[in-house]
Amino acid sequence: MRLACCFLLGASLVLAEPPLSIRLAPGDDKTGYRRADYQTDSLSLARRRGSAIDLAANARAEHLGLPPLADFQVAAPNAGAIQLGRKLFFDRRLSRNRTMSCAMCHIPEQGFTSNELKRPIGFEGRGVKRNAPTLLNVAFNQRLFWDARERELAQQIWSPLLAANEMNNPSVGYVLDQLHADPHYRELFQQAFGEPANILNTGLALAQYQQSLIAANSRFDRWYFAGDQAALNAQEKLGFRLFTGKAACSSCHLIGAQYALFTDHQLHNTGVGYQESMQKTPATVTVQLAPGVQVAVDQKLVSTVGEAKENDLGRYEVSLQPADRWKYRTPGLRNVALTAPYMHNGEFLSLQAVIDFYNRGGVQHELLSPLIRPLGLVESEQAALRAFLVALTGGNVAQLVGDAFAAPVGDTTASPQ
Amino acid sequence: MDKPYLPFYKLATVLLLLAGFAVQADETCMSPYMAKIVGQEDFVYVWTLGEEGLGDEQDKLVTIDVNPASPNYGQVVHTLSVGGRNEAHHSGFSDDRRYLWAGGLDTSKIFIFDVHSDPAKPKLHKTIDDFVAKSGGVVGPHTFYALAGRMMITGLSNNKDHGGRTAMVEYSNKGEYIATHWHPTDDSLNGAEKSGKYADGYGYDVRVLPRRNAMFTSSFTGWSNYMMDFGTMLADEEAMKRFGNTAVLWDLHTRKPKKVFDMPGAPLEIRCAWQPNHNYCFTTTALTSKIWLLYEDANGVWQAKAVADIGDPSKVPLPVDISITSDDSGLWVQTFMDGKTRYFDITDPFAPKQVYEKVIGAQLNMISQSWDGKRAYFTSSLLDNWDKKGDQDEQFFKAYTWDGKELNLEFAVDFKAEKLGSAHQMRFGAYGLYGLQRPYAARDIAAGE
Repeated sequence: MRLACCFLLGASLVLAEPPLSIRLAPGDDKTGYRRADYQTDSLSLARRRGSAIDLAANARAEHLGLPPLADFQVAAPNAGAIQLGRKLFFDRRLSRNRTMSCAMCHIPEQGFTSNELKRPIGFEGRGVKRNAPTLLNVAFNQRLFWDARERELAQQIWSPLLAANEMNNPSVGYVLDQLHADPHYRELFQQAFGEPANILNTGLALAQYQQSLIAANSRFDRWYFAGDQAALNAQEKLGFRLFTGKAACSSCHLIGAQYALFTDHQLHNTGVGYQESMQKTPATVTVQLAPGVQVAVDQKLVSTVGEAKENDLGRYEVSLQPADRWKYRTPGLRNVALTAPYMHNGEFLSLQAVIDFYNRGGVQHELLSPLIRPLGLVESEQAALRAFLVALTGGNVAQLVGDAFAAPVGDTTASPQ
Repeated sequence: MDKPYLPFYKLATVLLLLAGFAVQADETCMSPYMAKIVGQEDFVYVWTLGEEGLGDEQDKLVTIDVNPASPNYGQVVHTLSVGGRNEAHHSGFSDDRRYLWAGGLDTSKIFIFDVHSDPAKPKLHKTIDDFVAKSGGVVGPHTFYALAGRMMITGLSNNKDHGGRTAMVEYSNKGEYIATHWHPTDDSLNGAEKSGKYADGYGYDVRVLPRRNAMFTSSFTGWSNYMMDFGTMLADEEAMKRFGNTAVLWDLHTRKPKKVFDMPGAPLEIRCAWQPNHNYCFTTTALTSKIWLLYEDANGVWQAKAVADIGDPSKVPLPVDISITSDDSGLWVQTFMDGKTRYFDITDPFAPKQVYEKVIGAQLNMISQSWDGKRAYFTSSLLDNWDKKGDQDEQFFKAYTWDGKELNLEFAVDFKAEKLGSAHQMRFGAYGLYGLQRPYAARDIAAGE
């Protein structure tokens, strides 16, 4: 199944330029790479263009299928703060060696995550042990990070800014010094907040941009909340019935009467983390060398060039409660077709692989959530479930991606010499 | 003293003179637009990666005295730290060979060293730190290849997704940005023929055959992959899809792509034949372990063909650097995983045959051989996070002599014991290039030569 899709942006109040075709997938799409008959589908970077939209308007607007942002946000949308946050988000100079921006792991056309890696790569190539989550609709997350250790976006942003394996800034003060030294940032902070950059307003600016990335009005929303019977086809409707019935996905990925966030904001143990920590190391690693060329490489050989994998115990690492081992936050499923690979460790490359996993009943062990059990879904039911999940892609994602394409990428421009 | 170098305009004469002899090698990966060292090189400059916890932890240019006549033979005579770990990788001289441009694949900084004022003590002449902004988003300056008055720099990645789509970037010798030449993609072939199934837009190396107005590029992978832990990447099915599978023929004069060749498995270094009637170049695919030939057929049409396996491809020996001999009879191929250098007889370029191999160390990447083919130097590091771990992470510079049958170790520098870092690319220096006298007695030079 090809999850990549293209949207033609239609006329809109927030669009200033003629429509552009935007691919919601990596620019050099690798669909079918495992097959020998693979053909490239690579776009030039020059084509990666879009138009700025009114993000504050997007944040203030009512979105079919979502609750009002006011119930979740930390501050009312502010156009100046959003624009400042957008500039910060795409600024590669915001890392210690000026190579990593937020957007290098939360890539707009890749669902504001990375489709190209199971787990992100940070400062000097250091590995991050968990999959980068999408930032679409992040405003509605009651808790942040896979282990739910943070609550506020404005606070959360300092974790990647300071993490040694992410952006590696040595201190809050160092980041603020960089912002104070830049005339353009000085002006933008003054305009947005009436004061120089500080620990609070820097976080707030980045939070404001991320909160504006609201993407709903999916075909599912138009069918379920607006009564448009034609918005979903019969297979997708069957998928919905399975999602809320036989497959019981909605036990955790909640759908309400007025809106649907597709998450219960809780943490669960599905067995993915348990398996990763406790399984015996396989004797070989299957390695894709080229299209249609795979070989099994001896694990001993791979280990000569690989660091030992960092363990991951989930929520336990925050709470130190044994019962929290391998528990992870339930992600929302809006736009899920755009955000592969899946799970906290990016283990599953496709929606089908996720469905296969839950259909098997996860991984049996004593801490497995009682909500996880074998589902008995036949192939046609799995296909229906998959089709339903694809129907959760927001109708305005391409606009948000196009806006991101229009954002300037911050790179070093002036030589100190 | 004898001039140990030749400007390009004299090269043809030299090649003609040498054609009648069993010439072993030359300083083969230099641009044809550049003066060459045809006698005894005095120094090898090793562009070295800083390692956390080792010495001053910074990238540095390490100068090693390699002239047997020198009292400092076999010694590190100079180091120049540049600040930070930039993922030091490749370097290349300007066409006048007075400056050495060296790049950092991580920070995309370019360090230009003055190697002519005192070849024993290079100086940092200029740092270009706005390469990404100037080029329109190209990340990872890799190959520095001299054209006439210009420096052609291949990129590996971009600042939009840190993937493999990238470009060549052209600078003046003064270090001023001139142009960006994007690699052809499916939607933007820019006049090129897509001869097979792939037009990925990836880049890696560049070489030219001026007499055929031909320029060739190969393709590797983007920042996310070349920076990440090698073992982790091998097990990441998504990451392993992000490798280049193409080589591109360009019009050298217009810088326009003409033909995209399928070359699955990350073709890396390109080495073109030197003989006037040999219209072909070699490259090797790192992942699929094959020697590929880019050649002009009887109809004058450029083609690409896989002509030999390197080791057992199913064991992923990972061929990395290669070096062709000046008479086009031999090709040195380094394989990183088993630490071997392999010598292929390429008398028939369509049927290379391995005739020699030797383990140089636990890991092996680069080779540089002298003009006369009697000396070959090897270094260990591939990429900081791809290098082997633990005891197998040997970091060395090793100097060998080659008698046509056997490599004999002359001396080695342990880059860890010397607290230098990880040894990567090598370039030769010589006093004679700049009309300078060696600072030791002539009789010693005679003895050394």
